[in-house]
Amino acid sequence: MSVPASQQAVLEVERVTKRFGDVLAVRDVSFSARRGVILGLLGPNGAGKTTTLRMIMGILDPDEGEVRFSLNGVTGKLDKERIGYLPEERGLYADARVLETLVYLAELKGLARGEAVRRARDWLARLDLAAWADRKIESLSKGMEQKVQFAAAILHEPDLVVLDEPFSGLDPVHQDFVKDVIRGLRKAGTAVVLSSHMMNQVEELTDEIVLVDHGVAVLSGALDAIKEAHGTHSVRLRFGGDRTALERDARIENLTIDGDRAAFRLPKGTAPDTYVRCLPAGILVREISIARPPLHEIFVQTVGRRGDEAR
Amino acid sequence: MKLAKVVAWEFRRTAHNKQFILMTVLLPAIIGLAGGGVALFGGGSDGAARTPAGPPPPFLVPMIFAMILFIGAFLNGTMTLYGVVKEKASRVVEIVLSSISSREMMAGKILGQGLAGLIQVVLWGGVAAVVLSALVPGLSWRLTPVQWVSYPLYFALGYLLISALFATLAAGMKDVQSSGAQFLVGMIPYLPMMFSAGIVQQPNATWIRIASFFPPFTPGMMMIRVSMAPIPWWEVAGTILVLGLFDLVFIRVAARAFETAMLMYGKNATLRELWRWGVRRRR
Repeated sequence: MSVPASQQAVLEVERVTKRFGDVLAVRDVSFSARRGVILGLLGPNGAGKTTTLRMIMGILDPDEGEVRFSLNGVTGKLDKERIGYLPEERGLYADARVLETLVYLAELKGLARGEAVRRARDWLARLDLAAWADRKIESLSKGMEQKVQFAAAILHEPDLVVLDEPFSGLDPVHQDFVKDVIRGLRKAGTAVVLSSHMMNQVEELTDEIVLVDHGVAVLSGALDAIKEAHGTHSVRLRFGGDRTALERDARIENLTIDGDRAAFRLPKGTAPDTYVRCLPAGILVREISIARPPLHEIFVQTVGRRGDEAR
Repeated sequence: MKLAKVVAWEFRRTAHNKQFILMTVLLPAIIGLAGGGVALFGGGSDGAARTPAGPPPPFLVPMIFAMILFIGAFLNGTMTLYGVVKEKASRVVEIVLSSISSREMMAGKILGQGLAGLIQVVLWGGVAAVVLSALVPGLSWRLTPVQWVSYPLYFALGYLLISALFATLAAGMKDVQSSGAQFLVGMIPYLPMMFSAGIVQQPNATWIRIASFFPPFTPGMMMIRVSMAPIPWWEVAGTILVLGLFDLVFIRVAARAFETAMLMYGKNATLRELWRWGVRRRR
């Protein structure tokens, strides 16, 4: 895949490894984040996502490997002013007020006070929290507080935004809102790294993914390419006619039939288009859907296969 | 620059804290009573020859101010401790540390809260001075230049030391209920008060001169010594310098202990672990 000049890498994680005592939390993980690209660091709980993000943020130091930044055209160490971070374990000063908290956190990112106040007010309005500006944080609901934290991470318009489980604890409406904001960041040319254990929920958002399991990156690359490579399409069918026509069809795999419903997979190499053009004779299609498998399924397939190899 | 912002933020939050405001107003009343008690005690200690108009002992004033320092520093230290533990529990630290270093954060907290605390303590001191003057006739407020310069420095630096000590201890706590042994360590700077009688009698005894250079003891010992006898200038300057350097080092220790401890949830750090994280090299 060719890379447009605008999509330069702002972050390169190179073969990082982190141990906690005997536990190998992250092993040999590499990826890079580029402007205008949303990178999803996905995997089940305990896969090493948060540890990886903490190494990016300099909270933990990798035992091996390197984290490099290229912000403001300067390659090298972490510039905290040009990066935004939403930690997984997050909280705000309970006794402080909403607006002053946002302004303070923005000032710590190097914004001048006036500008910080202006942007904080803007964001509170966008987040539908304008009426809460002078209330204390402790009076906010959990979802509201999370929106404030989210605003704090991006208020200073960083080049790189690192979001650890940005959707946890948000209701579907707020999730959609946050997704829109993240898409907005991509459009504005921000590099976004987000982690989530809910793969299906974020896959529509991501351009590239790194799938991690037990500290190891089991799959990484452009989402489309990965889906293509693992692209055994699943077909769901409601049909009439002769079910044996399906059973005899050698072009399909994993067929299950339940009454007038059938589900099966197209083997690797069979394009949906090819299949649809010559459906088996003798069946009558009432409904049909052909889709790439969700990321979660690819993950299970990959991890399962890896497990077999290990044995 | 950022440090100034953190200091201002912590100062504002402290000054708006209800408990803090209450303490600031309530304590002068208690100091008034305590001052009265000490004044009576000081007047009555002459034994059989009870002369009400007898001159008050020269250590009375520094003693009372040392007491105010230690009460104020203890309250402030406890507040720092609660603050740090609370922020550790509420996880605000990880957000803040994505913008500034742990050192800036800890120094800002210790200085910001300390500044608010010092204002509080100066207010108490003022009240104490008024009470003392009223209760103890003939009390001399004339200080030597050395005393003028050294008192405020011992006071402020001692205050910072106690704050930093409590902040370090707080870094390893999972909640405030699980203090305990930690509080005993926090009491070390208070030990000289137990030997105050000895210090008053022999302000230049060798062991006292040596112990004065041990930073946790410096404020308590030197404030009494400076008021009791002429102290060689290099001892005054030396102890202040050592104490000041120790403060700087200790703020750094607090920050490093915090840096390591903040990712540790649900478990208390032992004093040995705190020592390892704060003092030994991390990597």
